[in-house]
Amino acid sequence: MQIRDYIIRRLLVLPVLIIGTSIIVFALTRIGGSPIGIYLSHEMNPAEVQEMKERFHLDKPVPVQYFYWIKGVTQGDLGWSGVASAPVVDVFPKKFAATMELAIAAGIVAVSLGIALGTFAGARRNKLADHIIRVVSVSGASMPLFWFAILLLIIFWVWLGWFPIGRSDPNLFEAIPHPTGFYTIDALLAGNFAAFRDAVWHLIMPAVALGYGATAIIARMMRSSLIEELQEDYVDAAKAKGLAERVVLKKHARRNALIPTVTVIGLTFGFLLQGTVVAEIIFRWPGLGRWMASAVLRGDQATIMTYVMFTSILFLIVNLVVDIIYANLDRRVVLGE
Amino acid sequence: MSQDLKTSSVAIEGLNDSALKVRLKRNLEIIQNVLENPTTVIGLIIVILMLLMALLAPIITEPNMPDPYQMPRDWKAARSAPLTPGHVLGTTNRGGDVFYGVVWGARTSLKLSLIVVCLTVVVGVTIGSIAGIVGGKVDEILMRVVDVFLSIPELIFALAIAAILGPSFTNIILALVVVFWVKYARIMRAQVIRIKQREYVDAARVMGDSKMQIYLKDILPNSFSPVMVQATLDMGNIVLVGATLSFIGLSEAGIAEWGVLVSEGQAGISAGRWWASTFPGLMVFLWALAFNLVGDGLRDVLDPRTETKR
Repeated sequence: MQIRDYIIRRLLVLPVLIIGTSIIVFALTRIGGSPIGIYLSHEMNPAEVQEMKERFHLDKPVPVQYFYWIKGVTQGDLGWSGVASAPVVDVFPKKFAATMELAIAAGIVAVSLGIALGTFAGARRNKLADHIIRVVSVSGASMPLFWFAILLLIIFWVWLGWFPIGRSDPNLFEAIPHPTGFYTIDALLAGNFAAFRDAVWHLIMPAVALGYGATAIIARMMRSSLIEELQEDYVDAAKAKGLAERVVLKKHARRNALIPTVTVIGLTFGFLLQGTVVAEIIFRWPGLGRWMASAVLRGDQATIMTYVMFTSILFLIVNLVVDIIYANLDRRVVLGE
Repeated sequence: MSQDLKTSSVAIEGLNDSALKVRLKRNLEIIQNVLENPTTVIGLIIVILMLLMALLAPIITEPNMPDPYQMPRDWKAARSAPLTPGHVLGTTNRGGDVFYGVVWGARTSLKLSLIVVCLTVVVGVTIGSIAGIVGGKVDEILMRVVDVFLSIPELIFALAIAAILGPSFTNIILALVVVFWVKYARIMRAQVIRIKQREYVDAARVMGDSKMQIYLKDILPNSFSPVMVQATLDMGNIVLVGATLSFIGLSEAGIAEWGVLVSEGQAGISAGRWWASTFPGLMVFLWALAFNLVGDGLRDVLDPRTETKR
């Protein structure tokens, strides 16, 4: 199959998956009962209750309600968030920016550290450094994020006092405009260096905590694929040609070892995304994850539905992009299966 | 003619006997191979210690009556540091004995992971088998359903389900079952399709075995190892995700569960009381690590071709 056909086919499947997900999410919330409760108050008489039901189409059969929900979503009506006391659409962008800033920072930590550690370990196979890095990366997949984050909190916030919690120092950020909602970028755009430093300072601890699991996964993959590459004939050929070991490693082996690592990087995106829920609770980060956590505890259906739908779609798209990049990087990949 | 049949059936019995021996010998070899890897052995030792702790919990600590799965509250000794007499690992802000929570948490985790693994294996293997055997439209539909389930990130899916059902330990079990069966369906379907094309299945068909007989005799036993590997890994993952849900607040408050205890311990952190969160969290980590190590070791031996993904 040609790459173009493959991409087209995957794009055609995408809406099917998204619709499937939306059905599951909707069915799920209706299992929990009708969401009419949040629109009612104790002073309403039965006629008014009926009127509210009709207004939100909750008197109709559930499948019909689904179509009203989808219609609303396509028109930008995501419902009312009880937790935020505001329409979901109004709250979403700001929280989204906060979460993306955290997730991207964690991704940068994970990718740069993961590739560096994996290369370092793979090039020194079975030496002490390799063993240490292996222990770190094996433990990464089993590390409960909520525990690791709390350990960082205890050490770097309570004992050493190096890093703050929360997202920013409000005194610094009240003064500057927020065109992007990304505090680091906003601070740079405003030319306020103190605010930028503050934003970065607040980011470090949650980004490291969130990125640790992904770092471990990437390092592990990088190490094993580098070891595999280093056993290939072309490495010997390059060395025989007289190239320095460092050059062979950097220009040849590492480059090829990156190919399988790219897929794993894509997989870790889901890892980061779901991790934000826990990281945001612990570091008091005002993003989507923390919003979702309180929505979950208070049965705020509109928020839960939006959040699950949104993360799933994002997850699907990222996976698609990763698969396409992978197919382009490595023409040997058999497409279609 | 009947004499002929008789001797041939005796011959087949003799074959079965030696086949059994071969299988036994192979299993012994597998166990030997698994035990050759030091990290697997470390994992196995931790697993055994955890299981012992879970099973012997009523002997290690005095059960809290009437419900031993509830944390005992000793309000007078609240906020004790570790090594306080009677509270080896200290207490939480609300007087919960951390050591009790650590020990009984192992029992809770064992209960959680065993129930979820058993249910997901049954559901997943059944659905995967149906898809693989029936094929065609049924397979197509079932696999699209599996794809949809896989397109929602694990923890978020479980979180949403548990939230809709309401906070309780039972609902966490349900949520995890809904999320975790998918992998088994995929594994099982792939196995069925792979084995269906083997020569020995053709041979059985020629000999007149029914579809069901072939499934029970050839396909199911030969699919055992990848399911086994996944189940071992999931024993760890389920506790990891389950504890995370509990930490977020989806269990009953006050039960002896590691995630709940970490969450309860959070309240004392800013005042420097590090122990109430640290010890139970360490247990979650060790539990997941141990089962991951054993699962990886099993995979290396049973199924050396698959790469370690994720």
